[in-house]
Amino acid sequence: MSKEYIVKRIALLILVVFGVLIITFVITRLIPAHPELLWAGPHATMEQIEKARRELHLNDPIYVQLYYYLLNFVRGDWGVSWRTRSPVLHDVLSALPATLELVIVAFIIAIVIGIPLGVYAALRRDRLADHIIRVLTVLGASVPVFWLALIVQLVFGSWLHILPAAKRVDEILVLRTGFHPITGFYLLDALIEGNIPVFLDVLRHMILPATVLSLYPMSLCARMTRALMVEVLNEQYIRAAKAWGLPGKLVTFKYALKNAIAPVIASLGLSFGYTIIGAFMVELIFVWPGIGFYAAMSLLSFDYPAIVGVIVIVAIFYSVINMVVDIIHAIIDPRVRL
Amino acid sequence: MSSPSELGIMFRLIRRNPVSMLGLIIVVTFVIVGLIAPYILTRPEEAWGIAYNVKDRFLPPSPQHPFGTDEYGRDMFNRVLLGTRFSLMIAVGVVGLALLIGIPVGLIAGYVGGKVGTALMRVTDMFLAFPPLLLAIALAATLGRGLTNTIVALAISWWPWYARLIFVQVNSIKSLPYVDAARVMGLGSLTIMFKHILPNALTPITVQAALDMGSAILEAAGLSFLGVGVPPPTPEWGLLVSMGWQSINRAWWISFFPGLAIVITVLGFNLLADAVREAMDPRLRKALIMKGV
Repeated sequence: MSKEYIVKRIALLILVVFGVLIITFVITRLIPAHPELLWAGPHATMEQIEKARRELHLNDPIYVQLYYYLLNFVRGDWGVSWRTRSPVLHDVLSALPATLELVIVAFIIAIVIGIPLGVYAALRRDRLADHIIRVLTVLGASVPVFWLALIVQLVFGSWLHILPAAKRVDEILVLRTGFHPITGFYLLDALIEGNIPVFLDVLRHMILPATVLSLYPMSLCARMTRALMVEVLNEQYIRAAKAWGLPGKLVTFKYALKNAIAPVIASLGLSFGYTIIGAFMVELIFVWPGIGFYAAMSLLSFDYPAIVGVIVIVAIFYSVINMVVDIIHAIIDPRVRL
Repeated sequence: MSSPSELGIMFRLIRRNPVSMLGLIIVVTFVIVGLIAPYILTRPEEAWGIAYNVKDRFLPPSPQHPFGTDEYGRDMFNRVLLGTRFSLMIAVGVVGLALLIGIPVGLIAGYVGGKVGTALMRVTDMFLAFPPLLLAIALAATLGRGLTNTIVALAISWWPWYARLIFVQVNSIKSLPYVDAARVMGLGSLTIMFKHILPNALTPITVQAALDMGSAILEAAGLSFLGVGVPPPTPEWGLLVSMGWQSINRAWWISFFPGLAIVITVLGFNLLADAVREAMDPRLRKALIMKGV
């Protein structure tokens, strides 16, 4: 693994983050006729609007505004949400672990189900099973995530009463067992404290939202795996391995899958962006106190400073994930570095 | 590169596969219903959301009301039917506007090249650094609710994809001998770009754009659900789902049917997209043509 590649990739990331900030500046400060009205909120008094004008430096030339915009961003001064009345950066950072935990579990589900599904479809190419898997994976990419979340919540939560349909954990259980989150990743925290009841409860709360959220990456994962496996299974060396009489399972999983896995991981990285936006809606519906819930509530109440903060942090986060995926991809497949 | 027979081959390939054919049928039906929807409504006032019928609130699906009625007693079947038109308008609007921005940018960046081209593509890449829908959410929240604003917000987050696609196409076409010949004959840059390069770069991007309409419908529905898309009482599908949310325990059908309409439509576009992508794969096509398809 060359250091050069990583350095190059990090330099690119800084450039991208800068670009993201410029675009959000244009959208949120230059396009609106009166950004101070948006910034101060719909029920602001004249004084509050005047204060917003000063905070945004609207009486100064544009380049000065941009300078303060970037400066405040670096200093962590992202404005105050008038819905929660606390600094946006604080809100956003404290909501991040809940979302990350949900998204990570969703991706684990996506990989654990998606890759075998894709391998199976490739092995049964052009037979019935392959066609069914194809339709299912296309369907998975066509379902509006918010609609599926509503239906699943209604059926499993309200009608069948099998699974909890809202929140991260049962609060009464938290009080009774004295659960104190440390990292904000509840599964991890419960394990650290050896609190098995809370661990199981968090897991149960997670099943519905994580499954709904996993549908898109799962479909993508299965489709990518199928396409790549079909290609790899046709390679000479696989035919040679089969001709040598090596067991089918060994050939499929050790020799073929290994060569198909890198692009699958790369594609999952791309679907991360889609998934985190899906989390906006899924978290809103399942009252999951993460960044998506925060974003959706801010949008619904036109809490502009919070909206801008969320957009910047999600875009940066997405760029970082893309960089990490690129680097992992390069480690697995050295050709990428060229 | 492009010729009528290209599309002909594609169509023959689609016809061979029942699943792809299903996609084609869904898409054609969607377009037709979208065009004629306002003229086939049985309860137009309820569909447009300007009439209320309070004594018929929350009626479950029945022969009179196949999709039930909502909290104002409006017939959901009529609302969903009219919603087809809004989805069609959004789909065509978003993709059309995105092409209108993306094609010139990609064309100029690809043909002129050099510093201008690099600068244009850097800007394009910055737009692509946003996860899908996030930029549209930011724009929609700034511009405010409305059909036009929704279309503009989505188009501005979409054009970079088309700019990239055209850029790559133009880059490979501009070094072909016929372009050099045109230049030697003294034709102007604009003439060469728009009359001689663009037509040859257009087929893949138009196919791509037509099939992207499913995603446009899906994303517009998401914006409406988050409260930054089309305003009520517009019967846009995403908005209908969101309007039914508060009474979902009492009347599941209000959210269910508009969502189902989204699923079926987007599925149609995606199945077709899948088929076309496969049909455009040169290796597969060669094999099929040799088999005498």
